[in-house]
Amino acid sequence: MFEMAACGLLRTLDNGVIVRVNPTFCAWVGRSAEALVGRRRFQDLLTMGGRIFHQTHWAPLLRMQGTLAEVKLDLLHEEGASIPMVLNARRHEADGVVVHDIAAFVARDRDTYEKELVLARKRLELAVAEAERLQEESKDRAHFAEQMIGIVSHDLRNPLAAIAMGAGLLADGDLSEEQRGAVERISRSTSRATRLIVDLLDFTQARLGQGLRVSAEPTDVHAAVFHALEELAVVFPARKTTHVRIGSGPARADAQRLAQLVGNLVTNAFAYGAQDGVVTVTSSVGSDLVALAVHNDGPPISETVQRTMFRPMERGTTDSHHPRSVGLGLFIVREIARAHGGSAEVTSTASGGTTFSVVFPRR
Amino acid sequence: MSIRKRNHVTISGSGPSTMVFAHGFGCDQNTWRLLAPAYEGRYRTVLFDHVGSGASDLSAYDKTKYDSLEGYATDVIELVEDIATGPVVFVGHSVSAMIGLLANVRRPELFAAQVMIGPSPCYIDDGDYVGGFVRKDIESLLETLEGNYLGWASNMAPAIMGAPEKPELAIELTNSFCRTDPAIAKQFARVTFLSDVRAEVPKLQAPTLVLQCTDDIIAPLAVGEYLRRALPRANLALIENVGHCPHLSSPSASADAMDTFLREERL
Repeated sequence: MFEMAACGLLRTLDNGVIVRVNPTFCAWVGRSAEALVGRRRFQDLLTMGGRIFHQTHWAPLLRMQGTLAEVKLDLLHEEGASIPMVLNARRHEADGVVVHDIAAFVARDRDTYEKELVLARKRLELAVAEAERLQEESKDRAHFAEQMIGIVSHDLRNPLAAIAMGAGLLADGDLSEEQRGAVERISRSTSRATRLIVDLLDFTQARLGQGLRVSAEPTDVHAAVFHALEELAVVFPARKTTHVRIGSGPARADAQRLAQLVGNLVTNAFAYGAQDGVVTVTSSVGSDLVALAVHNDGPPISETVQRTMFRPMERGTTDSHHPRSVGLGLFIVREIARAHGGSAEVTSTASGGTTFSVVFPRR
Repeated sequence: MSIRKRNHVTISGSGPSTMVFAHGFGCDQNTWRLLAPAYEGRYRTVLFDHVGSGASDLSAYDKTKYDSLEGYATDVIELVEDIATGPVVFVGHSVSAMIGLLANVRRPELFAAQVMIGPSPCYIDDGDYVGGFVRKDIESLLETLEGNYLGWASNMAPAIMGAPEKPELAIELTNSFCRTDPAIAKQFARVTFLSDVRAEVPKLQAPTLVLQCTDDIIAPLAVGEYLRRALPRANLALIENVGHCPHLSSPSASADAMDTFLREERL
């Protein structure tokens, strides 16, 4: 049994000197029994790392526990190659002498597999560390971008207000037709730039902060919409709008935000709808719900665009000549609707035109 | 957190002075099982586990703190301040001999003497200095540790074959050894075997016993000889022993050498 065993077997003294070894083990390490018995200690057959491990783990554990199982060490072949082996050991007394009985199994495949596992684990740890680093970085960048947008927007507001005020003063003066046209374009552009800044600030807040801030209080929705349309009429004197009011009574809403919402939808309708058409704005106050709808005639919006148009940075058209902001308007509309506990949607057909509608609870 | 819980401190024995036992790399306080009882009649004996080893509190393991032996020395200082009123005899095995040395150099008033079992101030050969290893050997050790990563729990557990004579010991060991985190073991190995505290050795003013084994690859004879020359108050005792753990394989010879030293130093 000892001679023919399908594993390497050896017996050593307490100091490691080999006293018996079977042919299987001899063949594995390429050494004869004569070269091993009485001449070599078990630890002499280990790599340097294995010898240290033998001293720091193997020997003390074997002495304390009496047995060791599944220790993996590289044994040195006579010709220098190292052979990974899994080893079990038992320390006991035989005929009054303390001996160690060791069983060894060559574990090349297991070794290869385990090395791969260890490598994979290392790679995973590196990847996780890298991902964490990137996440930190992007958080920093986002924070930085938020601050930049805040600073730039704030700093742009003052010069824009000055331009708007200047244009307003000029419009009151005695102007030629050509000059009046120029002043109106200045007003419109200033208004668009201001709206863009407000959207940018809101976008940053909605995306990076705690969502869009709204302060809901009892509001006359019709009046809020009416004021928004009045302001738009000043900036776009050539465009026509109708305001349809259904129902009455206060609703809990943020009047400023509703005006912003209507402003975004109506300027979109001006930009993308039929240039000679009338934009219809409907505000309805029902018993439970408030609905706002902005309708324009003109070519329909494709379904593909409809699916993504409420996301930030999506443009309704790829035509760069269209007067359009960077694509935050509808995202802000949706966020305002959400902040009111409601939602925004669009329907668009060739015959019926395009309608954006927002519905939220009246409360 | 209490130091006693952090370092799993075990106090027994009684006597006018205190003897602190510190285990080396790879083991925990169980390593003192055969030697410490010999002193329980004369000393208050204190065993502990380094943070990261044995039954220490793993949540206290701080990769930065324990990236050098100084971190461990800080723990030893805190522990001695906590458990003893007078200076202690510090018994350190292997790397703990150097941890004890660092603690002693920093706070000489806390220590009466140092007993170093198989110490080495530097494991890597360096010019004329013979430590016994080259850097490649330490990398080979780290590989070996990694190779036993997967079977870590099982090769430390005697459950499969059993330890028939001492089953209760086996269970206790299994429980504590199984708690060793392989990542911590690797860092401790690196910190231990790449340490070089030779510059501190001449600063140790406490009387010191170096227990040197006759055949120890971790701490070869040349290292013991180096320490005898470099330590201001060194006593070198040679123990006929194969291996790095004379306190386990030759506990009575170890105790004899210690007793002679302690008697001469009137401790």
